[in-house]
Amino acid sequence: MLRGLLLASTLLLAIPLAARADDSIVGKGEYLVRAADCVSCHTVPGGHLFAGGRAFVLPGMGTLYSSNITPDPKTGIGGYNDDDWVRMLWTGVARGGKHLYPAMPYASYTKLSRDDALAIKAYLFTLKPIEYTPPANAMKFPFNQRWGMVAWNLINVSDKRFEPDTTKSAAWNRGAYLVEALGHCGECHTPRNFMQALKSDKAYAGAKQQGWLAYNISGDKNAGIGGWTDAQLAEYLSTGKAPGRGPASGPMAEAVEYSLRYLTKDDVAAMVTYLRDRPAQPDGPPAVPATVAAAAAPDPMGAHLFNQACAGCHLPTGAGRQSPWAALGGAHTAGDVTGTNLVQVLAHGTQIETDQGLMFMHSFTGGYTDRELSFIANYTIGQMSGRQGQVTPQQIGAARGPDDHKPTDPPPQVVGMR
Amino acid sequence: MFSLSINGQTQQVDVPADMPLLWVLRDVLGMTGTKFGCGIAQCGACTVHLGGAAVRSCLLPVSGIGDQPIVTIEAVGDSPTGAKVQHAWLDKEVVQCGYCQSGQIMSATALLNQTPKPTDADIDSAMSGNICRCGTYVRIREAIHAAASA
Repeated sequence: MLRGLLLASTLLLAIPLAARADDSIVGKGEYLVRAADCVSCHTVPGGHLFAGGRAFVLPGMGTLYSSNITPDPKTGIGGYNDDDWVRMLWTGVARGGKHLYPAMPYASYTKLSRDDALAIKAYLFTLKPIEYTPPANAMKFPFNQRWGMVAWNLINVSDKRFEPDTTKSAAWNRGAYLVEALGHCGECHTPRNFMQALKSDKAYAGAKQQGWLAYNISGDKNAGIGGWTDAQLAEYLSTGKAPGRGPASGPMAEAVEYSLRYLTKDDVAAMVTYLRDRPAQPDGPPAVPATVAAAAAPDPMGAHLFNQACAGCHLPTGAGRQSPWAALGGAHTAGDVTGTNLVQVLAHGTQIETDQGLMFMHSFTGGYTDRELSFIANYTIGQMSGRQGQVTPQQIGAARGPDDHKPTDPPPQVVGMR
Repeated sequence: MFSLSINGQTQQVDVPADMPLLWVLRDVLGMTGTKFGCGIAQCGACTVHLGGAAVRSCLLPVSGIGDQPIVTIEAVGDSPTGAKVQHAWLDKEVVQCGYCQSGQIMSATALLNQTPKPTDADIDSAMSGNICRCGTYVRIREAIHAAASA
């Protein structure tokens, strides 16, 4: 009885404090800023958080730089009042009437409630103002004509808030809001049409973004996430890996690191509920089944190089030596015979901050030739998915950075000596 | 506070959750047999056994260990396989400078526990993550075969 009373009084003390912290507009804003992953685009790697300047190369169109969203009055968002701010998020029209490019996902943020939009602003206004002007956009004609966005917006932006579907559960609707409005998952995972607008009839069918393939996350059992269990999906979203599904890498690792891992269990479960219910789209590389017959006669050069370069962390089997983020079994990336993301990982490395510290893989282009890395890639695909990889040395060469140290293949007679 | 099972003994350590096991072993517990090499799990010098598997302690956060038993070079010779490996290492005069060798012995012992009669290919793949700047690889391979048939 005494224990019960003590417990009750502790709870009474604890709950209002916790509730205040969560319910304050700034606390709510911080959570929403994470859910919307603002920091990922509005920060240069290694630079001031939220100060902008990250480059987005749009092939054939030019380069955009993200804006400074710290509350600096001159170079940031300090001059925004509430109505300006909400208009910017809902319609893509910034203060002073300047049209934003839809790299800023206002086509998704238009679904945000006004309260949530203002909570985001309230949190951003608590940040330290950083005086920094990002580089000017370098868009080619006609894309440098911002007024062109007026027509684009008319066609492609609904300017409508999220409307709950009353025939669905509360979790489904919360998930829909998180996925469609805040998380703007479709901005990467939905293909775009000739106007660079999302193809609504191909929602979540997967798309290539900044050199990476954002996989099909529709309900399709073969190409999408229809074969994943709820537990796998929830673990992947909140930690960046799931047993039998491999690790997230590149931009998805960033999304988990900066955004998804901060979401509550209930919110992640709500996202899973909604994502599960997305209509199946058959596009993209098929998922890797749970049991795989590895290539019967693996290429000896690939095996040799994999053991040298990869097995230290991934083990010769690919099961991962000690980190679940190094387990490659079932990874979609290892089942894509074109090797799009595998080449990116080999050429640029990947990393993710986790509750167990930083998990990282460095780039391998400094020590291995294009030919060697193509062997490694195709061996990995063969072993982990049983499929015949089609990665070419040219693909690796194209993925190298311009300043990459480029080792040369040994003369043929030396290779012949193996 | 973390409770770790190291070489059959329970050790209480008051360290940050993200401290790698190697730091706990060397700096907190004074067990300096396990070596720091590269710090990014590329060289194998810091190899220890976690639940019987060879792992790189330099990147293993103490919070990721739980109740899995840890064995280090200080006690690996207490197991029959570990003792055979150490004797073979002496018989074949494997060691040159020695810096990588505690890691080599830990990886070799883990291999033999899992694959008692390894082929050359088994040895090459299991030992590929352990780098030796003196080039003792040929003698390492010889000693593993010797330990396997001892």
